This record gives sequence, structure tokens and C-alpha cells, in this order.
Amino acid sequence: MSNKQKIIDIFQQALTYLAASVGAITLFMIIFFVFSNGYKLLDFGLLVNDYHAKFYNGGIEDEISYSNTIRPNNLDDEVFYSQKWGIGLKDDNDREGNPIIIVDFIADDSPLKNIYDKNNEEYEPLLLETGHLLSKISFYDKQTALTKYGAEYMIEALNSSDTFREIVYSSLGGGIRGSIITTFYLIGMTMAIALPIGIFTAIYLNEFAPKNKITSLLRSLIETLTGVPSIIFGLMGLAVFVPLTIQMTEATSANIISGSLTLAVILLPVIIRSTEESLKIVPDSFRSASLALGANHTQTTFKVVLPSAFPGIMTGTLLAVGRVIGESAALIFAIGTAVKDDISIFGKSTTLSVHIWSLMKDEPANIELASTIAVIILMIVLLLNIIVKFISKKLIKDLY
Amino acid sequence: MKNILKIMNLNLYYDEFQALKDINIDIENNKVTALIGPSGCGKSTFLKCLNRMNDLIEICSIFGEIEYKEENIYKPNYDVINLRTKVGMVFQKPNPFPMSIFDNVAYGPRCQGIKEKKRLEEIVISSLKSAALYEEVKDRMKKSALSLSGGQQQRLCIARAIAMEPEVILMDEPTSSLDPIATLRIEELINELKKKYTIIIVTHSMQQAARISDNTAFFLMGELIEFNKTDKIFTTPLQQKTEDYITGRFG
Ligand SMILES: Nc1ncnc2c1ncn2[C@@H]1O[C@H](COP(=O)(O)OP(=O)(O)O)[C@@H](O)[C@H]1O
Ligand SMILES: [Mg+2]
Repeated sequence: MSNKQKIIDIFQQALTYLAASVGAITLFMIIFFVFSNGYKLLDFGLLVNDYHAKFYNGGIEDEISYSNTIRPNNLDDEVFYSQKWGIGLKDDNDREGNPIIIVDFIADDSPLKNIYDKNNEEYEPLLLETGHLLSKISFYDKQTALTKYGAEYMIEALNSSDTFREIVYSSLGGGIRGSIITTFYLIGMTMAIALPIGIFTAIYLNEFAPKNKITSLLRSLIETLTGVPSIIFGLMGLAVFVPLTIQMTEATSANIISGSLTLAVILLPVIIRSTEESLKIVPDSFRSASLALGANHTQTTFKVVLPSAFPGIMTGTLLAVGRVIGESAALIFAIGTAVKDDISIFGKSTTLSVHIWSLMKDEPANIELASTIAVIILMIVLLLNIIVKFISKKLIKDLY
Repeated sequence: MKNILKIMNLNLYYDEFQALKDINIDIENNKVTALIGPSGCGKSTFLKCLNRMNDLIEICSIFGEIEYKEENIYKPNYDVINLRTKVGMVFQKPNPFPMSIFDNVAYGPRCQGIKEKKRLEEIVISSLKSAALYEEVKDRMKKSALSLSGGQQQRLCIARAIAMEPEVILMDEPTSSLDPIATLRIEELINELKKKYTIIIVTHSMQQAARISDNTAFFLMGELIEFNKTDKIFTTPLQQKTEDYITGRFG
């Protein structure tokens, strides 16, 4: 090898290494950023809690039997405890960073277990539990205990009182259960629409359609659609599917159905193309073998070609599911941006990605919670990947 | 009926290119007919005419008549599906489906609507026995067919064809991708199978043709040069071109 060639060689190698490391480092930094911002808020409560805190206004009976429970040993030092009322309170911050007073312990014989709902004519009992946030206790004879005065004052005020006028507390909130449910609804419904249509279209194009101008025109049309920005499909969803679903169902606004339809349209070209690719790599020798055995075209397609293409189709489906999880632009129009806790397929709600968008558009943006959701999205995608890898590996092992 | 297949004035074109020129040949019942000739002379093309697999090639046009059991298989509305169940085919490269061994053999009968489990089992077992494969695979019928060796795969393909209870089996260089031992097993199998089936086999090996066939047809550039008893072809060929070919002077 000549010297000049050697230098070119080294240069080219250095270039590939450089490019590869830039790529790897960028990816690593994104993941690091997301995790370092998001891991603090990551807990089980986040996944199962409502986003919007629910508030309760409680009153107490005239006859009160006070608690006898002494302070349990296992309570943290930061917990302020009132033996009279059988309750331990602690200062904390919520996921948005605002100060809160959290119920850390409540004794079985606590009089606060016998409060009733003041907003309800029937005076139904309320259930104060550990994990609830105390936002206010107002008294007849002294200053109201508010969150901003801290847990210590609240306990002192309780200890020095025999009764109170009203107790206001709430659930924690800030959870993303609603957005998780919406995301899974959306995945299910979108796939239920797009997969059968997409796969059958691909089968038609690859196995049955005559090889003429119209077919190739159709194919290039589909290819073009893959490149259209999703926000344009979102506009179409708003203009077509939202009014359509409002007319046909009980929906009154953008809803999960219109979102699914919009996403299905976005995914159709993707699914058609990936299915066609998987069908194309099925060797023709399988088709000839089947036909030579007296099988007809349909039997050959569905008994031999389609099963052989199955691992590839699975992979394409995974990519499509990933798109559903990741899509936000189109969905802002097609299902709305309202973060909801009670999910109905006929109503507005947000997926996890749109939830991130909602959090970031506020002033100030809630980067921490957004990053936490990003971590959850990453984990869902990773899990999906592992599942599909596992299934298709098993399928390929069984098949080949 | 002594001749199960009669090929009359067969001409075949791929677009403009004439791949078969005026072929006339009669295939005897329960005999092994070997097709020999240099590569590209049209042996595979000819074979594929016999079960109409050429239908799949759009640019292919066929003229002349092929009678199977005294019926022209190229006449309009002829039942091609039925023809292919009666004239089975084994390909050059073993091409089992990516399914279990059992499902491979059961595939053809299932496509004909046989669903009964017992019936299918009988067919599969007897076909595998006929293809001299049963003993080797009886403990792993549910395993993927692609886990078999090349020679086993080819015998599986023969079993798959036999499962249709055909009368004719077409084989296109069935041993060309196999090692000598696997080749020998297939040749023994062919000797066994000719008791029940008419076999037409394309081979690039003249020794193979001499070993296993009763009749031999020699093709050259789309023409049938000579067709005769195998021993005649290899001992006293009538045509100079045949002699040149079998003595290895060209091709
Ligand atoms: N599908 C096809 N399209 C066009 N030409 C073909 C096709 N198949 C075969 N041919 C041509 O026909 C001739 C005979 O081919 P083939 O029957 O495969 O020969 P053989 O099997 O004797 O080697 C060759 O010249 C080949 O190029
Ligand atoms: Mg050939």
C-alpha cells in the first residue's frame, strides 16, 4: 500500500469513528438529560394517581371522642404528631414544587376519621387517609391553619382546640394515569383500524394486483404519504374526523375516536410499506412449491406467504405502535390537549406525548414532570421492543 | 394407455426468444425419463410445461399440445389445480415451507380440503415412509422442516409431492445441491418410486441419467436432438451431437 493511500485510509477511518461517537454521545446525552431530570418524580403513585387533585370539605360532629394513640415509634422525625387528634403531619413539596402538608399517619381512633362532607346535603362520611394533603383547617377561636404556615402550626392549632369549623383536604394529584389510559386506548383503537386495512392492502398490492401503471401509481402515492408531516394529517383530522365523530357518536368535541382515525391514516402508509417489504423477501420458491402442490393463489398467500412474512410484519407493527406513542403534533388537533382523569373514548384527553407538550407550554414549564413522562415513554417503548424481539425471535426459531 | 404424457409440436417463447422448438415426445407410464443437455438448453422450461408452472411467467407463450391421459392440458378451462395434484414437482433447491415437518407434508392434502386429523396423519406417515424419511423424523414431526439436512429436506419435498397421490413426479435436478451420499439416497428412492409413479427427471449428470433412467431425452438449444432407451443413448447414439455431448466433447 502506498503512503498516500494509507493516509486516506486512516483519515476515512477517523471520520467514521468521529461520526459514530458524535451520534452515540448525543443519544447518551438526551437519555441522561431526561433521566436526571425525571427520575426524582418517578414512583408508582405517579402512574396510578389522578392528575387533578380532588378537594374535600369536611365538618366534625359536636360530640368528639379524642384519640388515645401515642406517637408511633416508626414515624419520621420531621412528622409533627398530635395525640389528641391521632394524626401525624409532615411538610413536603408536590410534583410541581409547591409546598404541601401531607398526612403521614392517622390513628384508628382518630376523631378525624369521623368527619362528614359539608358539600353534601346528606352529610355523608368522608375518609381522610394517609397520603392526603391538608390545605386548610379553620377554627372558631383562632387563626386558620393554612398550608403556608406549615405542619407544625397546624398540629399546634389542633392540639389547642377542642373542635374546628372546617377541614379542607385533597388527594395528591399530579398523576398521569389518565394520559396512560388514553395512550393505550389510542394504541388499541388505531391498530384495530390501521393493521387490518394496511396488511390487506399490502397483500393486495404485492400478491394480487396486476403489475400495471395504476398499481405503481398507487404505490408511489402511498410512498408520498409516508413523507407528509403529521401536523397536516392533524388538520385533516380536525376538519374531517372530529365533525364526523361528533355527528355519529355522542362526542361533542375532539375525542379519542377522531384521534385514532387520524393516527390510523398516518400509519396506513407505514404499515402498508413495511408489510410489503416483508412480503417481498418471502422467497418465490415458497410460492412455486405451494402452487405446484395444487394450492390456489389465495391459499398460497394466506397459508405460506403471510406466515413467512409474519416476523417482519410484527416489527413493522411495533414501529407503528412507537409512532402512536410518540405522535403529538397531529393529536393536538385531533383529540385535544386537556389533561383528563376520567377517560372516555368520546371525550378529549391527552396521550403521554401531548401531556408533555401541555406541561411545557405553561409558564414556567414543568420540565421535571415532563422528563418523568419522557422516561415512562422511553420505558414503554423499550418494553415493547423487548416483547416484539422476543416474540419474533421465537417465531423465527419455530419457523426457520 | 402406455404413454401417460404426449407432447406434440411444443413451441415455447419467452417474449421473442424461442426456448423450445417443435418438441415431440411420449412419456411412458411407470418409467423414469431423464432429460439431459447443456445448461440453458430448455430442460427446466420443458419440465415446467408439464404441470403448467410456466403459466406464472407473464412473458411466456406456449404453442402446441400436451396431452395428459389423452386430454390437452392447454385447452381452455382445463383444471390446472387438479393437474398439479396429479403431476407433482420437486425443485432444484430443496424448498420446504417454514413450518413443521408434519405441516409440510400435510399442506397439499389440507389445501384440497382434508381436515380430519387421523386421515392427515395416515397420509403424512405413509408419504414419509414412501420417501424413505419416516424413520429419521418420526420423533420430531413437530419440529421445523428447516432444521433438516439438505438431503432430508429434499426427501421431505418428495414426500410432500407424494402426499397428493400424484401419477407423475417431475424432478428438476433434485440432487444438484446435495452431497454424494444424499444424492445416492435420492437415487435409490427414485428406483423405489418408479414402481408406483411415472418420473421425469432433469439431470446435469450423465452418470445419474445412466444409473436411474429407462429413457433419456437429449436437448440442445431448445431442440430435442434424440430420445431413446437410456442404454441406447449411452452406447449407440444415433445423432452425432448426442455422441459429442455424452463423450464430453462439448457442453
Ligand atoms: N423466465 C424466463 N424469462 C426469460 N427467459 C428465460 C426464463 N427462464 C428461462 N429462460 C431462458 O430459456 C432458456 C432455457 O432455460 P432453462 O429451461 O432454464 O434451461 P435449463 O434448465 O436446460 O438449464 C435459457 O436461455 C434461459 O435464459
Ligand atoms: Mg434448469
